[in-house]
Amino acid sequence: MMFWISLLDGLPPGASFTLENYTRIFDGIYLNVLWRTISLTVQTTVLVTVLGYTLAYSMVRFTKRTTIVLLLIILPFWTNYIVRMYALINIFQNGGVLSWALNLVGLANGDFGIMYTNEAVLLGLTYVWLPLATLPFYASLTNFDTDLIDAAKDLGAGPLKAFFTVTLPMTFNGLLAGVVLVAIPAFGSFVTPELLGGTDQIMIGNLIDQQFNQAFNWPLGASLGIVVSVFMVLMLIISAKIGSRVLARHGGSDE
Amino acid sequence: MTGLFGRVERFVHEYGVRIGQLVMVLVLLALWIPIALVVFMSFAASGVLSFPPSGFTLEWYARFLENDAAIRSIFTTMQVSLIAAPITVALATMISYGIGRYEFRGKSSLQLLVSLPLIVPLIVVGISLTLFFGFLEIGGGFWPTVASHVIRTLPFAALIILPTFLTFDQSLEEASQDLGANEIETFFQITLPNILPGVVAGGLLAFTISFNEFVYTYFVGGSGMETMPIYLWNQIMYSATPEVNVLSVVFLLVAIVMVLVAAFVTNVERVART
Repeated sequence: MMFWISLLDGLPPGASFTLENYTRIFDGIYLNVLWRTISLTVQTTVLVTVLGYTLAYSMVRFTKRTTIVLLLIILPFWTNYIVRMYALINIFQNGGVLSWALNLVGLANGDFGIMYTNEAVLLGLTYVWLPLATLPFYASLTNFDTDLIDAAKDLGAGPLKAFFTVTLPMTFNGLLAGVVLVAIPAFGSFVTPELLGGTDQIMIGNLIDQQFNQAFNWPLGASLGIVVSVFMVLMLIISAKIGSRVLARHGGSDE
Repeated sequence: MTGLFGRVERFVHEYGVRIGQLVMVLVLLALWIPIALVVFMSFAASGVLSFPPSGFTLEWYARFLENDAAIRSIFTTMQVSLIAAPITVALATMISYGIGRYEFRGKSSLQLLVSLPLIVPLIVVGISLTLFFGFLEIGGGFWPTVASHVIRTLPFAALIILPTFLTFDQSLEEASQDLGANEIETFFQITLPNILPGVVAGGLLAFTISFNEFVYTYFVGGSGMETMPIYLWNQIMYSATPEVNVLSVVFLLVAIVMVLVAAFVTNVERVART
């Protein structure tokens, strides 16, 4: 249905089919937005994966208070998305908490803020999606037999070698699940760029919002929605392909 | 093992645990400091835009309670969520019962269909629903919003209710039927009490998600549906007053209470898995 509307030049009834909505997407300004969306998605996914995996690994290996830590990760995730964004605005804005803290340690002088920058949106997306990605990382690490790490070390591997040849391949499916769970919603996000990025850091989600709620150009909005959907399907196909290839190479499943 | 790689290995061997623990603590702090600050700022005397505050006050709480628009948005949210959550739980229980008990054609596609909205970006489903309701010429308003909330919460509820069906001992049902109970009696006297923790947890989480739901309501609801998240959004976008902090605290308390109860009714791990 979204696809059908995306091919129209107006609202039914009385609309005819056209590809114009798709050609418009690849015009200058839209292309810019698409590029920023991809770039922010990649940055967010990398940051979330590194931090989230380290967090999950520490939860499994380096602490005994796993349940409490788990709760501390889940609770922010269930807190209202907009509340969490507002919390970050408190910190990022001019004269906000970040400015205060940097002045305190002498790294900044006077009012300072990172609102409406690429970094603000990146940190916002990371803040929101980190808990979500940590959970599959954690699940795959708990299912993974950590005796294997000790075995690798007994056989002479250092901690890094043990990690890259044993732990990482064995938990690869969990890693992939986390990556997909972050990349797809990050690509389609519009609340975070709207609140933290303003008009300077528009992502594709904001364009969809504009077309639906301000310009009332539903066909164009729908075609942008199709772009997000295509990205999602691509991510799922790629991850399924990579996942099964890694499984085949290592001859086992971690889940 | 010599050279750079060897040195890195030795460094990780020596400090790996410390670094891991440090990252864990820093990430947890990064997750919680912004939230703690919102609570802190809700008592701040100097308004939204300055930190540190000049003093402390309960004024914003008092103003919040006198703010008709804010209170009305709470009632709107409650109406939507209290209708949507029970519908979700009923549907999720039926779907779980079907998946857990019977073999039927299209079972795996039903499972996929239920979990698909978990992955699809909210905005895509949001505009699809807008188009759908627009096409049916229903437009926005209360019932389309409720319907969209049911769609939003159903996968979460199903994921939490289904495992309770799969783990409980089916021979109890057979025993009940051997003793002369029919299927409906068996469901209410044997099955339901056994799956109740999962159903309660599923209901609580469905309520919580619906309570916090923004994107679907924003797209489907139209201008007349000002739920709490929509009200919060409008406040932040157009006229941030310190009451926003108070509203955030309300959201925070609801989320914490709901998740803790749900976590203790079932267990933390299961809530985490959804």
